[in-house]
Amino acid sequence: MYKTLDHFDVDHRLIYVRNIFIFSLSFLIVGLVYFQLIKADEYVNLASNNRLRMIRLLPPRGNVYDAGGVPLAVNVRTFDMKAYPMDLRYDEDFNEAAGLFARHGIPMTSQDLRTSVEKQYVAPYRAISVAINLTLAQVSDLVMDPEFPSSLFPSPVWRRIYPGGALVAHVMGYVGEITRDELEDQRDLYYQAGDIVGKSGIESMYEEDLRGVVGDQVVEVDSRGRRLRDVNYNDPQKGSDIRLTLDLAAQREASRLMDGRRGAMVVMDVNDGSVLVFFSSPTYDPNPLTWGISNKEWSALTDDPDRPMMNRVSGGAYPPGSVFKVVTAAGILMENVANSRSTVYCPGSFELGPQTFRCWRRSGHGTEDIVGALRDSCDVFFYQMSVRLGVDKLIEWSHEFGVGERTGIDLPGESRGNLAGREWKRARFKESWYQGDTVNYAIGQGFLLMTPLQLARVYAAFANGGRLVTPRLNANKKPEWRGLKISRANMDMIKRGIRDVVTRGTGRSAGSYGIEIAGKTGTAQNSQGEDHAWFVGYAPADNPKYVAAVLVEGGGSGASVGSPLVAQMLAYLLGHNK
Amino acid sequence: MLVVVLCLFGLGLVSIYSAGIGVRTSTMLFVLKQLVWGAVSALVYVSVLRVGYHHFIRYSYWMYGATILLLIALSLIGAVSKGAVRWFQLGSLSFQPAELGKVVLILAMSRFFSRNPPNSLKNLLTALALSGISVLLILLQPDLGSALVYVAVVFSMLAVAGSPGKYLGGLVISGLAAAPFLWKTLKTYQKLRLVVFLDPYIDPQGAGYNVIQSRIAVGSGGLWGKGFLQGTQGRLHFLPEPHTDFIFSVYAEEFGFVGGVIVVLLFAFLFWRVSRAAFRTKDIRGKLFCIGVAAWLWFQVMESIAMSMGLAPITGLPLPLFSYGGSSLLMTALALALVQSIAVSPVRDKFSQIA
Repeated sequence: MYKTLDHFDVDHRLIYVRNIFIFSLSFLIVGLVYFQLIKADEYVNLASNNRLRMIRLLPPRGNVYDAGGVPLAVNVRTFDMKAYPMDLRYDEDFNEAAGLFARHGIPMTSQDLRTSVEKQYVAPYRAISVAINLTLAQVSDLVMDPEFPSSLFPSPVWRRIYPGGALVAHVMGYVGEITRDELEDQRDLYYQAGDIVGKSGIESMYEEDLRGVVGDQVVEVDSRGRRLRDVNYNDPQKGSDIRLTLDLAAQREASRLMDGRRGAMVVMDVNDGSVLVFFSSPTYDPNPLTWGISNKEWSALTDDPDRPMMNRVSGGAYPPGSVFKVVTAAGILMENVANSRSTVYCPGSFELGPQTFRCWRRSGHGTEDIVGALRDSCDVFFYQMSVRLGVDKLIEWSHEFGVGERTGIDLPGESRGNLAGREWKRARFKESWYQGDTVNYAIGQGFLLMTPLQLARVYAAFANGGRLVTPRLNANKKPEWRGLKISRANMDMIKRGIRDVVTRGTGRSAGSYGIEIAGKTGTAQNSQGEDHAWFVGYAPADNPKYVAAVLVEGGGSGASVGSPLVAQMLAYLLGHNK
Repeated sequence: MLVVVLCLFGLGLVSIYSAGIGVRTSTMLFVLKQLVWGAVSALVYVSVLRVGYHHFIRYSYWMYGATILLLIALSLIGAVSKGAVRWFQLGSLSFQPAELGKVVLILAMSRFFSRNPPNSLKNLLTALALSGISVLLILLQPDLGSALVYVAVVFSMLAVAGSPGKYLGGLVISGLAAAPFLWKTLKTYQKLRLVVFLDPYIDPQGAGYNVIQSRIAVGSGGLWGKGFLQGTQGRLHFLPEPHTDFIFSVYAEEFGFVGGVIVVLLFAFLFWRVSRAAFRTKDIRGKLFCIGVAAWLWFQVMESIAMSMGLAPITGLPLPLFSYGGSSLLMTALALALVQSIAVSPVRDKFSQIA
């Protein structure tokens, strides 16, 4: 039984179906009439923002611990007094709130309040903070006041505190309220005005891990602003914790040794780049900064001539002086300008054309080979050899050791230092490179600038057998390094030289603390004043574990000032972690 | 017809932009993506028009088979990842086979009914079995909304293709009879969505929340609306999925009753044009195809707009041409291109018969 479709029948049915489709749309129009015209007022009222309020719930940041699990950054509960901008519109609203605060010993004028509300404003029904950092006692005191305005309500918040205080200020950094610029620059639109962000240090470096996930709460309130019920609630989620490689106790020891002098001390594991000590002196307490300090206190910090907020370990670039000689030595040996038998006679000075370059020891060192030149820090040896090596090779080898590049430590604000060469000098001074510049360069003076962290890294490479490690503070970060092109034999020669420094050379004062150190002294001339004292070394000499670099700005002689500091620091660590 | 389509797409873009402001990502992202999809769709439209609908209908059984395989593959992936899977992920773009299935099903059914009119019980049951496979697979995803679209499409095509009234009546009755059993197979959240539409205040913080908020959005739009970018409901995350499921709520809040009626009239005109193509063509397959497309778009328009007013359960169906979503846009363009091809080809049809 086969019957083809009849066109007429199909068209007939089509009209029916089409009419159903088109006329059924009028049902939608009826719906729109009902909701948008007849009941519009009711819904406009519901939507007009006076019933639903949004509160942003900031999560606690992740905690930060030192290598041994000692807390370096944690959160404590305090209270903010919050309000909705729409409830604070008229002068009397502000006066009422300001009066309340004044009665309970919290200084705040109605003008302050108004500015603060305007600064935080996002939407009329999005809560802002009127007063922050209140204790539980203060809050209960305020709420009990018979004239406590219904527009205000307390909200618990997390405040950041740093139990390590000034000891770890440059590592931890601090948090603070997000600035207008930061708000505009943000990529993922996560933040809103009034949010807390990491401003420097680990807090800034690992902001995205530490910050957690913001929650929010939508509440319906009555016409007087009293909360009726929760409409929506998303829990805030705490940020991830971070464990550092830093050792707070050793940090305290570093602070004791530096004793407030301007300078830096850094200790690193020679093998994996874990930073155990990272101390910039003088330091500051980051705690007040997170609670909000006055402009006066802030400028006292920033205008201090000792610049306590400057991170001298990785952000300060200094002429390295004689501690740089290991790099020059590596270049000389690897380019076959000298070998273990090559000697130079040091009469106390070096003539280059019309110029005379002095050795630090005016009476001269006599005949020196490379090991002896390192031991005695003989300048003339390096003057002469560097002229033969030439600046291009010298810079090539400096570059190999990471001079002039960031170490890649997980901390913001790192300085590259300055690996100055021909092009740099031409660009900067419009002068060509002279041999005299090369000679200065060879002993770590002239245009060359390095950070204490860069130097610690160079010495770690000698200690670990030729790997340039990337320093790291986050214990969960994978160790990284790059192999150096230096031969074992040449490296051993240099290591012998810097071991001799401590046993019978310029760094003998590092030898009397019960551990075997290899290292190099440096006394860097400083165009702005007193010489900088350096010592960079590692221990134990035959099986190195830690490398330490110390710099004392204007400290004078590296031999007498620098070496005992490094020796005591390393002795502390080796004695401690036995 | 093209003008209407472009108007709807344009208004959709405006609403997607507005909805995007509320979402915590780059505000232009959805608009740009949608524009790209629009361009792709335009390309598809033009090429399909050139190829002509005959070829599509000729290969429709094969395409239908392939779609079924895709759906099966999707269920298998879904079984492995233990969740609802409706997309194939191709790089940053995702593709919903359920959308493709709509066009292909209509094509296949047009071909089937033209050869085997559903005026015999045998043909009717074969058609139901054929289409039932895809409906079942879609239900398994689970995508209740799309499954309902399939049902509406097949039913309309049956009606037009000349099923006797007693068969249609029988289908409705058996459908109603099966409802209680289907109800049991639904997931709890699906049941809730169905119930809250009857009384959203049963669960105002959970499932009913969306209904209430959407109603507030539409209702507060009033006669003229709050104006472009002035809507507060969509912006403040009160509306879930503001750029897809609840796009009409965003639109109606900002452009009010007047804007809403304009959109409804645009769709009415679109249906008018699609059914006119059905009248004009001499090809019975073309007629059936057009009515299938009309049924599909009609169902989604009714559902999506009614849902935004809380007059229909929430199913997550996009508003055709309007909502953000590549698969839906692309398939709508493909379907409308085929309809257009049918509308312009009676002349060409004669030639092909001679040849």
